[in-house]
Amino acid sequence: MIVPFHHVVLLSSMLFFMGLFCTLARKNLIMILLGVEIMLNAGALAFVGAALRWQQIEGQAIVLFVLAVAATEVSVGLALIVSIYRRTGSVDPEVQLAAVEEGTP
Amino acid sequence: MVSLFHMDASLAAVIVALLPPLAAFGIVMLATRPLPRLSAAISLGAAGLSLLAAVYLLWRHLGMQTPIIFQMTWLHPGTLQIPFGFLLDPTSLVMLTVVSSISFLVQVYSLGYMAGDPGFSRYFGCMSLFSWAMLTLCLSSSLIQIFIFWELVGLASYLLIGFWFEKFSASEAGKKAFVMTRLGDVAFLLGLVLIWLQMGSLDITNLNTPAVVTAYCSPSMITLTGLLIFGGIVGKSAQFPLMTWLPDAMEGPTPVSALLHSATMVAAGVYLFARLFGYFSLSPTLMTICLAIGTISMLLASTMAMVARDIKQVWAYSTISQLGFMLMGLGAGSFFAGVFHLVTHAGFKALLFLSAGVFIHHFDSNDMETIGRRGGRKLKSAMICMIVAAGALSGLPPLSGFFSKELILGRLLELDNPLWFLAGAAGAFLTAYYTFRLVCFIAFPKTIETTGTDAGSHGNHGSIGPLAMNGVLWILAGATAALGFIQEPILAFIKPALGAELSGSIGHHGWLPVAACLLAALAIGLAWFEFGRKRCRQIGFVERMPVLAKLFRERWYLDRCYRLMLDQLVYKGISGLFTWNDRKVIDGAVDGFGGAAVRLGGLIARLHTTMVQYRLMVMALVVVLLILTFGLGG
Repeated sequence: MIVPFHHVVLLSSMLFFMGLFCTLARKNLIMILLGVEIMLNAGALAFVGAALRWQQIEGQAIVLFVLAVAATEVSVGLALIVSIYRRTGSVDPEVQLAAVEEGTP
Repeated sequence: MVSLFHMDASLAAVIVALLPPLAAFGIVMLATRPLPRLSAAISLGAAGLSLLAAVYLLWRHLGMQTPIIFQMTWLHPGTLQIPFGFLLDPTSLVMLTVVSSISFLVQVYSLGYMAGDPGFSRYFGCMSLFSWAMLTLCLSSSLIQIFIFWELVGLASYLLIGFWFEKFSASEAGKKAFVMTRLGDVAFLLGLVLIWLQMGSLDITNLNTPAVVTAYCSPSMITLTGLLIFGGIVGKSAQFPLMTWLPDAMEGPTPVSALLHSATMVAAGVYLFARLFGYFSLSPTLMTICLAIGTISMLLASTMAMVARDIKQVWAYSTISQLGFMLMGLGAGSFFAGVFHLVTHAGFKALLFLSAGVFIHHFDSNDMETIGRRGGRKLKSAMICMIVAAGALSGLPPLSGFFSKELILGRLLELDNPLWFLAGAAGAFLTAYYTFRLVCFIAFPKTIETTGTDAGSHGNHGSIGPLAMNGVLWILAGATAALGFIQEPILAFIKPALGAELSGSIGHHGWLPVAACLLAALAIGLAWFEFGRKRCRQIGFVERMPVLAKLFRERWYLDRCYRLMLDQLVYKGISGLFTWNDRKVIDGAVDGFGGAAVRLGGLIARLHTTMVQYRLMVMALVVVLLILTFGLGG
């Protein structure tokens, strides 16, 4: 293994926190979804690294499942966002909240 | 100290003297309040019993040489012993007789005066409490016991001064009397504690033995403790500067004033001085201070009485000045002069108040000019009795006041500084003047109203009422006339128990009685000239000087001073600080807790209703913290 394991863990945790920051800080539903995706992929990266480190194939297999789930999740999420945009004309979560509180979703 | 508590006749008599009033108080207050006649009968019976027992004790121990002590241990916390007992010596026996007879007579008088009052039963209950407390105080064997009953006397007088508590001024006067005497009592209690720390005992016989006292206390300590106890006396006997409660105490029913002024409340202070005379006389400084306080009080109160219009207030001021006179006699070193004046004063002051009560009851007014205008002189027996008592107060022979005043003046004359005697003579002059000013107002009215003179104030002139009131007046008038002639027997009775050095030599100056009579006659002549004769305008020489008259009428601005001190120091200073503390610190802290909880709740509630991102943020933070805790901590 050319790349040391702790580099992989460092990279994946950096990616995870960047995704977390994106999820918490952005005011755009698409960007929030993007942040969630980045966090998922950071996890997947850690799985791959661990599979290499302990020479076990299960880690790589799990990553395939994660990718599949991520793909479906993105498609469902984007579809919801498009639908929301059509209803309210905005992708800002606060606007959605205000609309919910007013009772006209 | 021999601690005897076997039953003998004297002890039985003491118990008979003290127990019935207490029992009467309990029964009247608890059981018979709805039955006024029964309550009065119980209370009167108790007072009569204690009077009989007191007379029996006096008769049995006439000519006693050594005091008798009955004592037992009441409490002993730790190594201390707090005794409870009775000390029978000539002074206490004389005082016991005086107090029980005055309280009996006043209660008989009250049958007429208080008839028809809704609080009739309560009145008699409180009177019983009052006389019980004072009687036990007279016989107390230790200072701590005196202190307990001293406070009870204060409580009873508070209840009686504020008897008509529906009236705002009456309840205020009761409070004022209670609080102002309490100021002195704090000093008294401190003095007691100091003596106890020094000597380990508060027995009166111990305290009056110079050898015992000097063995334990330094001279300065004697002066200090004596001064503290004297503070209590100043409060109780309404001396300068704690004198202003007494005139206000006139809000109570008149018989209460009679009892309070003659035999119980204010007399307790002078009696305590007489009780500790041996102790006080160990410190010359202290005696001089007492003399000075007595002189100041006497002169101040006399000047106040010269401009007062309220008949009861004039007598109240005269009480202050006569008590000051007694303290002068005691402070000058003559035990007998002070005690004898206390006894005679009890008689004629009760008479003065009770006859004033007849006027007030009949005309429903306290103003002396109104009483005169409505025909006060037609009430023959009250008028004659009042003139007898006024003569005694002014020191006219052959009435009792003449003898006791002459004793005190004679003693003052023997002091090195002639100032004291001059002050005493001036006080005697002023006393005669203001006394007969009042008499002239009532006896020689300038205009006479004829309408409605027969309308009684309470509309209740039953058969027994006026009879009881007049009977009591005549008895007291007889006592006032006769008391002066038994001076020698009383002196012979009191002297052996004291020892020659304490009784104080009583000087006999041939010219003094004549001079005192002339002085009194001069004052009475002046009063008649200004208020009594046909074409006078009834304006005294004081009232011709507006500044002086205003000063006297405002009571030398003493009350204003107290008010100012109260406002500035107590209300603005101390209670202002506490109010601030209460508002800001305590209320602030409690409100702060409440507010913080509400705000925190609002914050948490926001988490639930607002954007998902905040919840996520908290979640992420918690996870990070958990990782840090468990990852780094172990």
